[in-house]
This record gives sequence, C-alpha cells and structure tokens, in this order.
Amino acid sequence: MNEIKTQRPLAGKRILVGKPGLDGHDIGAKIVALTLRDAGAEVIYTGLRRTPQQIAQVAVDEGVDAVGLSILSGSHKELVADVLAQLRALTAGNIKVFVGGTIPRADQALLREMGVAAVFTADMPLDVVVAELAHQLS
Amino acid sequence: MNSKPLDRHALGQALTRLANASTSDLMRSPQRTLALSAARRIGLTGAPGAGKSTLAGYLALHRAPGRRLGILAIDPSSPRSGGAILGDRIRMDELKGVSQLYIRSIGSRSASDGLSDNLPEMLDLMDEFEFNEVLLETVGVGQVEYAARVQVDTLVLLLLPESGDVVQAMKAGIMEMADIFVINKADLPGAQKMASDIKRISSLARHDEGSWRPSVLLASSSKPESIAALSEEIDRHQAWLDLNDRRKVLRQQRARYRLRRLIERRAGEVIARQDPSFFEAPMVQQLDLALQQIGRKS
Ligand code: B12
Ligand SMILES: Nc1nc2c(ncn2[C@@H]2O[C@H](COP(=O)(O)OP(=O)(O)OP(=O)(O)O)[C@@H](O)[C@H]2O)c(=O)[nH]1
Ligand SMILES: [Mg+2]
Repeated sequence: MNEIKTQRPLAGKRILVGKPGLDGHDIGAKIVALTLRDAGAEVIYTGLRRTPQQIAQVAVDEGVDAVGLSILSGSHKELVADVLAQLRALTAGNIKVFVGGTIPRADQALLREMGVAAVFTADMPLDVVVAELAHQLS
Repeated sequence: MNSKPLDRHALGQALTRLANASTSDLMRSPQRTLALSAARRIGLTGAPGAGKSTLAGYLALHRAPGRRLGILAIDPSSPRSGGAILGDRIRMDELKGVSQLYIRSIGSRSASDGLSDNLPEMLDLMDEFEFNEVLLETVGVGQVEYAARVQVDTLVLLLLPESGDVVQAMKAGIMEMADIFVINKADLPGAQKMASDIKRISSLARHDEGSWRPSVLLASSSKPESIAALSEEIDRHQAWLDLNDRRKVLRQQRARYRLRRLIERRAGEVIARQDPSFFEAPMVQQLDLALQQIGRKS
C-alpha cells in the first residue's frame, strides 16, 4: 500500500490545468499536465486562451480538487485575481489554486497573499512540484 | 422545462465522489431510489480520433435548446500510473455557446471495455439531477469494446472514410451493435463510397421482423445540415424504442452489466492484493478464500 502511495502521490486527485488570457506559451503547461498524470492525477487540460470565467466554471463542473494556472505573459496578478474572484462567485472558493510560469520573486509572495496555495517556476525540479501538490492536497 | 436550475457545483462534487467510489463503497451504499424520469441516453463511439468529441459538441448545441442536456466524455486512464489527461472537452469548449452545457470528463480507471468504473452510477446521478438527455462519448474503441451498447438507448458508431473500416466492421460484427452509423469527416474523400459499402453490408445482415434497421448517414463538422440530419435520426430511433417497448429490455440489460462489472472489479481487487504465497495453496482453497473476501462488505 505504502509503495503505491509513493509511486502515485496524486492518485484519485482531479486537477485542472488552465491557461488564462492571451498567452500562447504552452510547453510548461503540457509538461506539467503529463507530470501530474504520471503521478496518478486526472488532469483536465483546458487548452489555450480561456477566460477566468470559463476556467472557474470548468473547475466547478469537473469537481476538481485543484486549479493550476500556467501564466507566462506577465499578467499573472490580474488573471489570478480574476480566477479567484470567479471561483468565489461560484461558491467554489475552497478549490486550491496553484500558479506556475514566469512569476518574478517579488510577485510570488503577493500571489500567495491573494490566496494562491503555491507558486512554481521553471527552476524547480518536477518532483518537488509533485511533492508540494501532494502535500497541499492531502 | 425543469423545476429548478441545475446545481452544477453539487453535481460536480457528487460525480467526483462517485468516480472515486471503491467497490466496498458501492456495496455499502444504500439502494438509490429510481429517479422519477430518466434522461435519454445517446452514445457516441468509434476509433480514436474519429471525431467523437467534435461531433458530440455540435450535436449537443443542436439538441440543447429547451432541454437540460449533459455530456459525459470518457478518456483512457494510464494503466501504469492510473492518471489521465482528460482532453475531450477541449474540442467542445472551442464551440460558441457551449459554456451553458454541462460537460464532464471521466477517466476510464480500471475499465477496459470503452467505458469507466462506476459509469452506471454516474448515469443514474444524471437522472437524479433531472437531465432530459445525456450524450456519452466512449474511449476510442477497437473491435471489442462495445459495452456502451447497453448503457445507452441510441448508439451512434462513427466510422472514417477510406480507413478500411468496412472489413473491420464486418469482422467485429458491429452491424448488430450500432443503431446509427455515421461516416464522419465526410468532407474528406471516400465518404460516399464508404457509406454505400456499409449500406450494402447492412442490407445483407439478417434482421428479425420488427427490429430496427440501422441507418447510415454522412456527417461533417463543417456541414451543419448533417448534424441536423443525425439529430433527426436519433429522434426517430428514440420514438421507435418507445413504440416497441424497448426501454424495459434495456433496463434489464443495464442491471446485468452493473452487477457483472461490480463483481469483476471486486474480484480483480481481491486477487491483486494477495501475497505470492496465496497462490501456492491448492486451487480449491484459493477459490474459497477469494470468494469469501469478494463477498465481504468492508
Ligand atoms: C519558448 C518561448 C516562447 C515560444 C513558445 C512556444 C510554446 N508553444 O510554448 C515562442 C517562440 C512561440 C514564444 C513567443 C513569445 N514570447 Co516567449 N518565451 C519562451 C521562453 C524562452 C521559454 C518558455 C518555456 O517554454 N519554458 C520552458 C517551460 C517548461 O517552463 P515554464 O513554462 O516556466 O513551466 C515550468 C514552471 O513555470 C512550472 N509551471 C508552469 N505552468 C505551471 C502550471 C502548474 C499547474 C504548475 C504546478 C507548474 C507550472 O512548471 C514548468 C516545468 O518546470 C521564455 C523565457 C523563459 N526562460 O521563460 C520566453 C518568454 C516567456 N516569452 C516572452 C515573450 C515576450 C514572448 C512574445 C510576446 C514575444 C513576441 N514579442 O512575439 C511571444 C508571445 C507568444 C504568445 N502568443 O503568447 C517573455 C514573457 C515576458 C513576461 N512574462 O513578462 C519571456 C519570459 C522572455 C523574456 N525574458 O522576455 N516564446
Ligand atoms: N476533416 C474533418 N476533421 C474533423 C472533423 N471532426 C473532427 N475532426 C478532427 O479530427 C480530430 C479528432 O477529433 P476529436 O473530436 O478529438 O476525435 P475523438 O474521436 O473525440 O478522439 P478521441 O477522443 O481521442 O478518441 C481533430 O483534429 C478534429 O479537428 C470533420 O468533420 N472533418
Ligand atoms: Mg474525444
């Protein structure tokens, strides 16, 4: 049982990976989606250029445990604030929100203050990302 | 149409709980009271990439006005990690007006018959939430995974032009399986020929008196009139089911499938958790022990 747990730290979790806004950088989102799948999660990938409203509604319909936003456009503050507000409007403020992409260090603390559970950047090894998600969602 | 607006939040969470329900959970859960009315169930099946999601999206938009319509779309789970990339809805989300529809992605989990674990229970839940109609997209299927047949009232099989599918269709005996054949992506060359081949085979197949004769249609995402024609054919088949009192038979077949899947999955779980030493005991003893554990409700 223990062995399976460590192999599949995200077994039974449903995670939406979304790209809000006009940002077309999707390599990171796809790598993360595959990584989460290999860690046992069911990943709902929304594709590019979704509005915060669409992302929040899909998160609710899909009954996800977490929403992961991948943002490399520089507009993370506005987009994250929007997604969080839309989730609350759908009484789904309890869904954890994670953010990855090009987020300057100074903004990372800011996002966390807004309610983001954790922020990930390209310098973090993928197993650290998985371990942190598993910890936050356990 | 419905008494109260759909609670998408409650449905989203209830489906997640059901998707994660173990066989023990199912064995312990109280018998559901049958919902007052049942949603029409329409299945879309066919090979990987046949255009099931795209067609489901267009068909749903065409049929949604005046109805509560939902889509359940199954994608394969990785046998290695148990995880999945659920991507069917990307095609649908691209369509305008689709955000009004309830779309749900489902991982196949341990099922290898084109459906998913606990699908019968999820379909029942859609009835409880007063859906009038549910479109079910199966995993991309090969020649053998036709469990969708009894889970839906109307089964639509998508075939591709020039894919050599005709011979495959004959081999797999699918002529008896689907109610409607759709040669999809009919904007590609070869669709007309494919359609007449399938019609010819279908007319050779034996049909009992009073049975439904499968129809053969062409469809393409770029031809709205082909979507409308498919939708009408689905209505015609639904009316035929009512006229011929077929829904009772379907209900009985569904009950069989549900019990069989529960026991199969349960047996799989019990056998998977045994130590290697278990299999050194005499066969009769293995069987006795396994059957005991299969029947235990915790
Ligand atoms: C490759 C690249 C491109 C490719 C993108 C190809 C594609 N399909 O993705 C192309 C050439 C198309 C491109 C175009 C542009 N780019 Co560009 N691009 C990059 C570059 C060099 C690398 C991005 C990348 O793929 N990294 C690799 C992946 C794996 O890393 P990642 O996305 O950060 O993801 C990791 C983590 O962040 C985290 N993560 C990410 N998402 C998520 C989500 C979750 C849930 C979790 C848990 C973790 C997580 O995990 C991932 C794995 O470690 C960056 C510079 C850089 N070093 O970041 C610029 C960069 C992102 N681009 C930039 C710009 C400005 C552009 C353009 C506007 C340029 C232009 N003027 O045309 C266009 C815009 C395109 C568009 N439509 O949006 C800027 C953005 C500036 C900003 N943020 O303010 C950057 C930062 C370059 C720079 N220093 O100026 N780009
Ligand atoms: N030419 C043409 N291409 C189509 C049509 N419908 C869908 N496609 C394309 O076919 C590809 C697969 O479409 P999907 O709808 O994802 O197919 P699917 O059967 O759901 O695929 P899986 O769920 O992965 O088995 C996509 O690139 C679509 O754009 C059509 O009518 N004509
Ligand atoms: Mg699909």
